[in-house]
Amino acid sequence: MTSTVTTPAKGPDTRAAALIASYERAGYARVAPAILQPAEPFLDLSGEDIRKRMYLTTAPGGGEFCLRPDLTIPVSRDYLASAVAGKPVGYCYLGPVFRHRVDQPSEFLQAGIESFGRSDKAAADAEMLALGLEATAHYGLSRPDIQIGDVALFSALIAGLDLPAAWKRRLIKDFNRKANLAQDLDRLVLGGSTSRPEYQGVLAALSNSDPKGAHALVTDLLSIAGINAVGGRSVAEIAERFLEQSALGASAKLPRDVRALIERFLAIAGDPDEAAADLRALAGEGNMTQALAPAIDLFETRAGFLAARGIDVKRVRFSTAFGRGFDYYTGFVFELTDPKRTGDPLVAGGRYDGLFTRLGSAEPIAAVGFAVWIERLSVYGGAA
Amino acid sequence: MSRPLVLAVPAKGRLQENTEAFFARSGLNLIKPRGARDYRGAITGLDGVEVAYLSASEITSQLAAGAVHLGVTGEDLVREMIPDADSKVVLIEGLGFGFATVVVAVPQAWIDVRTMADVDDVGTAFRHTHGRKMRVATKYINLTREFFSAGGIVDYRLVESTGATEGAPAAGTAELIVDITTTGATLAANGLKIVEDGIILRSQANLVAARTANWDDSERETARVILDRVAAQQRARAFREVRARFAACDAKLVESVKAKFAVQTPFGGPTSSGMLTLHCPPDKVYALTSFLRENGAEAVAVADLDYVFSRDNPLYAKLAAAL
Repeated sequence: MTSTVTTPAKGPDTRAAALIASYERAGYARVAPAILQPAEPFLDLSGEDIRKRMYLTTAPGGGEFCLRPDLTIPVSRDYLASAVAGKPVGYCYLGPVFRHRVDQPSEFLQAGIESFGRSDKAAADAEMLALGLEATAHYGLSRPDIQIGDVALFSALIAGLDLPAAWKRRLIKDFNRKANLAQDLDRLVLGGSTSRPEYQGVLAALSNSDPKGAHALVTDLLSIAGINAVGGRSVAEIAERFLEQSALGASAKLPRDVRALIERFLAIAGDPDEAAADLRALAGEGNMTQALAPAIDLFETRAGFLAARGIDVKRVRFSTAFGRGFDYYTGFVFELTDPKRTGDPLVAGGRYDGLFTRLGSAEPIAAVGFAVWIERLSVYGGAA
Repeated sequence: MSRPLVLAVPAKGRLQENTEAFFARSGLNLIKPRGARDYRGAITGLDGVEVAYLSASEITSQLAAGAVHLGVTGEDLVREMIPDADSKVVLIEGLGFGFATVVVAVPQAWIDVRTMADVDDVGTAFRHTHGRKMRVATKYINLTREFFSAGGIVDYRLVESTGATEGAPAAGTAELIVDITTTGATLAANGLKIVEDGIILRSQANLVAARTANWDDSERETARVILDRVAAQQRARAFREVRARFAACDAKLVESVKAKFAVQTPFGGPTSSGMLTLHCPPDKVYALTSFLRENGAEAVAVADLDYVFSRDNPLYAKLAAAL
């Protein structure tokens, strides 16, 4: 690796310290998690792709450790291990994170807030955006671009569609991945992959007429071949997906009106009030009012709380497609950017209610938060 | 005396034998003046070269660091071990040995898996069913990550494996593997099959140059001589020399022979006495001789070539362009 390790150009950032002090006054307890963290949770939650940006080290005993690449996971882990786990608590933080970056220091400051265990989700979401706006205002940018999304809307749409489970899984994953969605929609219309075995038609017919029997047949055949659990997948698992794929390949035709519905859904954008009206109209026409109502209700309630916090909702840009690429998030997502500069967000955050179960919690715990990119904000002159 | 050009070659096994044979064919005999156990050598009759015997992975890292000028190593190691490899090294020429294909392989029992799209879907289903991600055992951590990332696959974990990777699924330490294969026999013996579009890299031993090594005039000149000989030998091996004499030979016939059989005319068209010398790819030689005889050649002689030196030096040109 040729990257040089450089310390941040400036010493302690007094403006950042003042920002954190204001968050503490707002009721968020300041925490300072360990810099050296077990690597496993980051790799597990963010995926192997993050490995190339992480500073990894191996302990003599063999455990893999890293310099924390973000603070959300360390703060969450400490909370989960504490006596207050599951209870409503808010934390704020300011400290260095470490990521390998080309032409930029690998150590840089991040501030942020994590709010755990609150059941009043719409209010908590709105509070996060308001506190994020305080950060940019603190650095002298009073009117950043506000982009928001809501991942839960897409999940609700897909859950409400009459589609095979495999395709729902696929569409949700593709939404989280920024690519392939259009391609998959094409495939849904065109039918399954062409490279399927000749016997798939027979299997498809069998699995449609007698799912249990088909499953037993394939399981038996695999057992006759002397195959037990191989590579961690059970014979039943393999048989199940095998039949599912056969059925898909033979009959996967997404009706054009369903595809059109997904595309129309993903085209909805605008200020939250307009978007909510469009969403309700779409749900009504698509016969999905019931499926989408809870998500739209939450969306509208949140918009109300944003207005109540003094945020001009006409300035807020909402898009149903925003939030793609982060499989972390489960609901509200937002980014604050400088209208005069292109590119990276100054503040970014959202809701990730699934995090704690993935970290090992038996019960899901509501979680919402955001990170502030101190080095990106420090180019601004000061409080307006 | 100026500093020598350092040529790093594999220190053991078939790779060493093949490398020495390759250079020997180019008239470059690698010798160890101080005995077989020595790890430093020279080339007979060529001053200014130091031969360093190293392991293939060491050769790769030394090339990346610019500590050696030229080296013989597999493309798989270059791509795996050197971040942004093309900015650090130049792959000058594939050497025709050390073939290995880096592939994604899954248990044969996975009858529902044929393509990487299936692997992707299985990964997601696996996470939902088992509450953990499927594990991929490999020594090619970086190649695997790039390949999976390019395919949009996120639900997997890498398990570093330094040996007997193909045994990992059966041993229960991974669900699938990424490994090298030549014939696929070892994979099959371990109950694994290659995913249809899971070919990550077709690799072979390469002559590789380090961009960041110290390239003064003397080192460049030494490299030019080595590469000139290698190029002459490579060209010789790519062709057979076909000679014929016949009265009916004219420029038009030569043109049609060139088009039909991909031959080269190293010495131009026929001489005044009708002598024609052609360089023909080995697999087209017999068809060419038939064609020439049908067109009036009395006899056609075919011979192996030892060297074909030409004015241009494509291998050195490739190096010079990169420095």
